Amino acid sequence: MRSFYEVCAVLRRRNAKQYALLAGCCFFSVLLITAYVCMMRSPTVLSVLPEGGDSRKQVMMIFVLAVIGCAVFTTYAAGLFLRQRSRELGIFMALGASRAQVRGVLQRELAGVSVISCVLGAALGMPLAWALWSLFRTFLVDTQEMALRFDYRAYILSAIFSLFVILTTLSLGARSVRRTNIIDIVHEQHRSEPVREVPRRWGAIGIVLVLVGVFLGYMSSNFFILVLHWYPPEGLSAVFYAPALVGLYMLLLHTVVNGWGGRRRKYRDLISTSMMKFQGRQTVRNMLVITVLVAGAYFGSFYIPMIGTGAMMRYDAREYDYLYFHRADQDIPGEDEVRALAREYGVEITSFAEASTALLAVDGTHTVEVDGPMGVTWYPEYIEVFTAERFLSESDFNALTGQALDVPAGQAAAVLDSDGSTGYGFDTGISIVTNYLTGERLDVTPYQGAALRYQSLAQHYVLDDADFELITRGLTDEWREHKVVFNVENDEQTYDFAKALFNEIVDRSGPEVEVYDSWDPVIRDRNLAEDGYYFLDRESLEEAGEVTIDYTQRDSSNFRLSWKYMPQFRVLDKADFVKTTAVYLMLFVFVAIVCFSAVMVIAYTRCMTIALTNRQVYEDLRRLGAPGKYLYRSVRGQVKRVFFVPIFTGTLIIYVFYLMIMYFNGSPAGITGDEAAGLLASIGVIAGVSALLYGIYRLTLGKVCSSLSVKRRT
Amino acid sequence: MLKVENLHKSYQVGKNTYEVLKGVSLNVEQGEFVAVMGPSGSGKTTLLNCISCYIPADSGSIRLGGTELARLGEDELAEVRNRKLGFVFQDFLLLDGLTVEQNILLPAIIGGSVSADVENRASQLCEVFGIAAIKGKYPAEISGGEKQRTAVARALINNPLVILADEPTGNLDSKSSRAVIGTFEQAKSGLGSTIFMVTHDSFAASFCDRVIILRDGVVWRTLEKRDAERTAFQDALLASISEMGRQ
Repeated sequence: MRSFYEVCAVLRRRNAKQYALLAGCCFFSVLLITAYVCMMRSPTVLSVLPEGGDSRKQVMMIFVLAVIGCAVFTTYAAGLFLRQRSRELGIFMALGASRAQVRGVLQRELAGVSVISCVLGAALGMPLAWALWSLFRTFLVDTQEMALRFDYRAYILSAIFSLFVILTTLSLGARSVRRTNIIDIVHEQHRSEPVREVPRRWGAIGIVLVLVGVFLGYMSSNFFILVLHWYPPEGLSAVFYAPALVGLYMLLLHTVVNGWGGRRRKYRDLISTSMMKFQGRQTVRNMLVITVLVAGAYFGSFYIPMIGTGAMMRYDAREYDYLYFHRADQDIPGEDEVRALAREYGVEITSFAEASTALLAVDGTHTVEVDGPMGVTWYPEYIEVFTAERFLSESDFNALTGQALDVPAGQAAAVLDSDGSTGYGFDTGISIVTNYLTGERLDVTPYQGAALRYQSLAQHYVLDDADFELITRGLTDEWREHKVVFNVENDEQTYDFAKALFNEIVDRSGPEVEVYDSWDPVIRDRNLAEDGYYFLDRESLEEAGEVTIDYTQRDSSNFRLSWKYMPQFRVLDKADFVKTTAVYLMLFVFVAIVCFSAVMVIAYTRCMTIALTNRQVYEDLRRLGAPGKYLYRSVRGQVKRVFFVPIFTGTLIIYVFYLMIMYFNGSPAGITGDEAAGLLASIGVIAGVSALLYGIYRLTLGKVCSSLSVKRRT
Repeated sequence: MLKVENLHKSYQVGKNTYEVLKGVSLNVEQGEFVAVMGPSGSGKTTLLNCISCYIPADSGSIRLGGTELARLGEDELAEVRNRKLGFVFQDFLLLDGLTVEQNILLPAIIGGSVSADVENRASQLCEVFGIAAIKGKYPAEISGGEKQRTAVARALINNPLVILADEPTGNLDSKSSRAVIGTFEQAKSGLGSTIFMVTHDSFAASFCDRVIILRDGVVWRTLEKRDAERTAFQDALLASISEMGRQ
């Protein structure tokens, strides 16, 4: 061995574990980010998540969290690697190696490790996404919509992240060599990372800041839009979450440095607490990343129980097994045909009712957007002819519901959901009803009787028979709808009949009703007059590259969730729920898997690092006569803290955040029945994931114990 | 060989400035074995680190073989460390991944000057210092005394002008300490080496030709052994240290 290069090669072989750890961390981070970004930018997913919609924002937000987490993690791994290598580099320089010589060797090594691991991670990211998705399709649910397609442009984001990892690693390497004092470099490995004294009140202040930040962050956009009438730029609301992040840091720092045990446990936990203290900054940073990732992962995980439970409850709350409606000018099966089809499928219809509804214009407040120096602002503008809504006469309402409602003349009774919520954009306080064709106008006041709650007729208005007759006079069939409801024997066993009837309805519906549920003839006319186009018209959607309602895609989630005349067949909706929402569900499962995997790897790596850096301390404790039980308790105390504190904190924060969203998202504010059920189901998810994380904790504890030769005790 | 004149060095800790060296001047001749002693905080290690070019001095001059170190650039200082200085550290600073022989050769490898002659010299040093039998072993497999003898051999591999030793016996038992001091004596007498050693250990210092005692960042007293017996010189050292303590 005669050259410096050969010396370095020998040392590389000797330190293979350190290289493997750095390479593994870089590989894992890039692998996860690439898999995530491939999925997030997949045309399969993008076609289902609406542009600017909440789901897409959530996926993007969790992606940002995952990127931050993985970035901090790889930076930490690179820092750890350099600390481990610092002694060798310091000795080289102490013995006369020039900085350029050392820098050259180190940069070559770092570049080799980071580039190879990043390239491998990026190359395997897409196959990983594909493999996970295929597993979902094989074992969980498979629909035509789920056929996975990738957009190779997703690799641009993956390449940017890989470049970040490589450049960060190289710049940290350059910085470690740039240090002027060789003695510092030699002793770098033994340098502790002291945390400055942390006042005990930081714990409580941290909790308050977290709560304030979460509240401000969530409410800020409402404040800007509703109070200031200003649409803030994208990302401004994120600034208001900053106190939550600061609070989280203070909370974790207090937990690491002071602990929550009080004076009683001061001496019992002295060793484990002091060890954590001396790696304070790194530990807290890692815990912060774990907390944020746990929060992100649960945010994704809760999506499934929330929409699943809510939907199932809404299906159950329907008063009829079967309900469908159509524009009066459509040739849709009537009672005779339905009964004939039922007989064909051996289904017994136990009750049957029909009614007519009318589309009438109502008054309301329109938001007028104005482009100004501060961006887009808005002001409210009252319009007497605002939107089209569905109206029933009191007789038809009673025929469908079996009730004996009597709406006084001049009043309009708004029908609410079974849990009393109004639904998005439904105004219970209308004052003018207009026949859009004749211009006939009826002034109304809200119904003074008890609120009407009827799930199947929610977001309808009921008028006095005479008022209804008067105001609907002259309406053509385009402005009238026909509603059919019926119940059957053994509803759960009538799926084939339901599917056949659904297909029949779709087959016989004309292209003029092949529209989204929010397509509104009154708004359309106003938009055409003002802007020359209506964004929900097929031509406008196609021009904008948006997905349209398409009878040939009748089993897609877009069609099932958004067709204006989608029948409500309980057995069909329940059975096809998973299929209908498959892409949503699987995407969020995927996101959760990615985030929880990152959490497990980061927590595991951090614990193994603690074992690595504290080996000497445990040797010393053994020499001081510490019994095995004491050593085990000390190891367990540290591993527990790395796992439990951030996981518990992240879980709690996101659950409170979700509670807040559920509370404020409806009108009036409050938790509805299906939201409460969804929240309960989310606790089930937490229990399941916590059990898995506990298993990883036990595994890690065992590994750390065995690496420190500490006997594990039960 | 080594001339230090009016050397000053301060450290900044927060808002406070601590002047550790307050005008140290000393001279070490070729082939001389010199020790620096003094209580903790007297500036011994800082002095050694300045001479080693590990940290820059604030002012003053350090001349090594006629070269003014303060005027040298980074690469030239690295070359001085590699060619003209040999280092022996308290905690040995051997690379765990290299064998004893490879560790000894390391300064020559870094300098890019490994030849058959250098390899022969390494073998000779192993023989001289009694570590030939362990030259294929790794640091984790040998004793503390053997590690330090390896470090001394490493310090000598490039035939430097001066060996700088920082508490070389600090981590060793008395037997190993004696063996390490023996290697310095052999280096001095057999190879004509110049040795500059910082130590707390009056026993180790008593083998030196001259002992410089530092106090509060200045040279307080210099004791020369001349023809005195080692034990008498140690007694004189202890008496001086005791006197310094009384003052």
